[in-house]
Amino acid sequence: MSTVAIEEASVPGTRRSTIWVLPLVVLVLLGGVWAYVSSLTLDSIETRTLAPEVVLTALWQHVQLVITSTLLTIAIGVPLGVLLTRPGTRRAGAIVLAAANASQAVPSIGVLVVLAMVFGVGFWMAVVALVLYALLPVLRNTMVGIRQVDPALIDAGRGMGLSPREVLYTVELPLAVPVMLAGIRVALILNVGVATLAAFTNAGGLGSVISSGISLNRMPVLIVGSALTIALALTVDWLAGLAERVLHPRGI
Amino acid sequence: MSERPTPSPDAMIFLDGVSKRYPGQEKAAVSELSMEIKRGEFVVLVGPSGCGKTTTLRMINRLVEPTQGRIFIDGKDVTHADVDRLRRGIGYVIQQIGLLPHLTIADNIALVPKMLGVKKSERRQRAEELLEMVGLDPATYAGRYPRQLSGGQQQRVGVARALAADPPVMLMDEPFGAVDPIARKKLQMEFLRLQGRIHKTIVMVTHDIDEALRLGDRIAIFDPGSRLAQFDTPLAILSNPADDFVRDFVGSGAPVRRLSLLKVSDVIASSASDAPGTLNAIPVDAGETVHRALELVLTARAEGIEVCVPGGGSRYLDLQALLTAAAQPTKVLS
Ligand SMILES: Nc1ncnc2c1ncn2[C@@H]1O[C@H](COP(=O)(O)OP(=O)(O)O)[C@@H](O)[C@H]1O
Ligand SMILES: [Mg+2]
Repeated sequence: MSTVAIEEASVPGTRRSTIWVLPLVVLVLLGGVWAYVSSLTLDSIETRTLAPEVVLTALWQHVQLVITSTLLTIAIGVPLGVLLTRPGTRRAGAIVLAAANASQAVPSIGVLVVLAMVFGVGFWMAVVALVLYALLPVLRNTMVGIRQVDPALIDAGRGMGLSPREVLYTVELPLAVPVMLAGIRVALILNVGVATLAAFTNAGGLGSVISSGISLNRMPVLIVGSALTIALALTVDWLAGLAERVLHPRGI
Repeated sequence: MSERPTPSPDAMIFLDGVSKRYPGQEKAAVSELSMEIKRGEFVVLVGPSGCGKTTTLRMINRLVEPTQGRIFIDGKDVTHADVDRLRRGIGYVIQQIGLLPHLTIADNIALVPKMLGVKKSERRQRAEELLEMVGLDPATYAGRYPRQLSGGQQQRVGVARALAADPPVMLMDEPFGAVDPIARKKLQMEFLRLQGRIHKTIVMVTHDIDEALRLGDRIAIFDPGSRLAQFDTPLAILSNPADDFVRDFVGSGAPVRRLSLLKVSDVIASSASDAPGTLNAIPVDAGETVHRALELVLTARAEGIEVCVPGGGSRYLDLQALLTAAAQPTKVLS
């Protein structure tokens, strides 16, 4: 069983001096792709698949998939992680972590296909698959974040007369925030990537742009789909980095 | 009907045959311990590592649940009382200090008042008052975070936090153990002065017999077998060690240490003359320690001391007589 948390990243590109580097990279990437596509004479198929409303709809679906699945992942992973660090749940914690580790080893496309076969296709099916896949980092980092809290602080809290619940809210959770945020950030990035596969379960997203590029054998379409996915991943990572900086408790 | 002992009216903490055996351990960490600690008394638990000092202390606020016996606080049996309520009325200071790193100094101090529903402005005021009390300037320190303070400063905050809800009882587990020796002595002295003002009932754990002798009104010495070997005043322990273990534990310096505990008034009764004779005596207050009197004599290169006694007149004691009186085993006690 691996209980090693994802390292608290040094939040690249969010130091005050370098904060604008990443958005700049994204803008250059998007500008480059736009310039490339405008330099081409598009055939009717390309014009249709690259129509702004088609691409923007795909992008919006993708964002919806990522946001919904990440929120659900947090809503499940954090309370579950907290529960599994309460006294008397050591065994259960080990089992759940092992299961979550194993689920991560299963290729995401496999999860999607199996779910699609069992439950059918669509947006919510894709969300379920994404949540299953992204649960591990959130769950693991919540557990590790809470377990690494200095026992002397918990002892001091209990000794002052804080109830176990008050200790959780005033001592354990605030001190676990940095590690938990690192896990949530990983889940977000995972979700942006894996959500491209949602196209296979008819849930739309940028994956549908990429797959039409492949199936129609149209390079510009493929490039636009991929570039948008990369740009989205970078933007999400950047935003998550900003959030980590803002939410990092002062004093630690 | 019951033959069980009850605490006397001036007892603040009363342990009645308290034992603790940790699960899976053959030997009890504390067994059948009975102790009575009076209101406003400063009691130090001392003994070798592993003799059950921490366990004893933590049974008083029930961070460790006794496996047997009863605990009374302020006359009430709290062996089965609500633990959170109980602990909010007992200050708790630990060696690791345990300040919450994500809260400011003021918020750390005000944590218990906050849980008790004290208004924000009052909490702030209380925190500043307490910082002042432990010798830290509120304007400088209230808004800082713990890691911006030195170890000694953090421990002062630890003491301030324990005092926040004005509990009648304070439990301290090696509170000065983590600070360097010079800062430690300073903290000890400041703490004694503070205690002189606030008169809490204090139980403190240490493994340092010097600290115990310096601070305690009474000292409880535990032997390695977790038995309470002696529970008495520092002077009584130095004068009359109960057994070989106590004698050994106190160390070879006992006669010299007694000098800082004996008062001049304790020794003049036994042997002093009313006439100065040819003695080159130096005036000393009867309330001074014998140690201080000797220091004065040696500094002034005098031959003895002159002590004014209540009701007029002076008594004289030469150096030899002073030392002889100070070396008398007991009889001068309280
Ligand atoms: N939580 C615990 N679980 C099991 N044994 C413990 C625990 N705490 C202390 N002990 C044991 O109880 C004995 C007394 O410990 P303690 O009260 O910490 O001694 P001291 O504070 O005098 O060094 C030791 O043998 C120690 O190993
Ligand atoms: Mg101890």
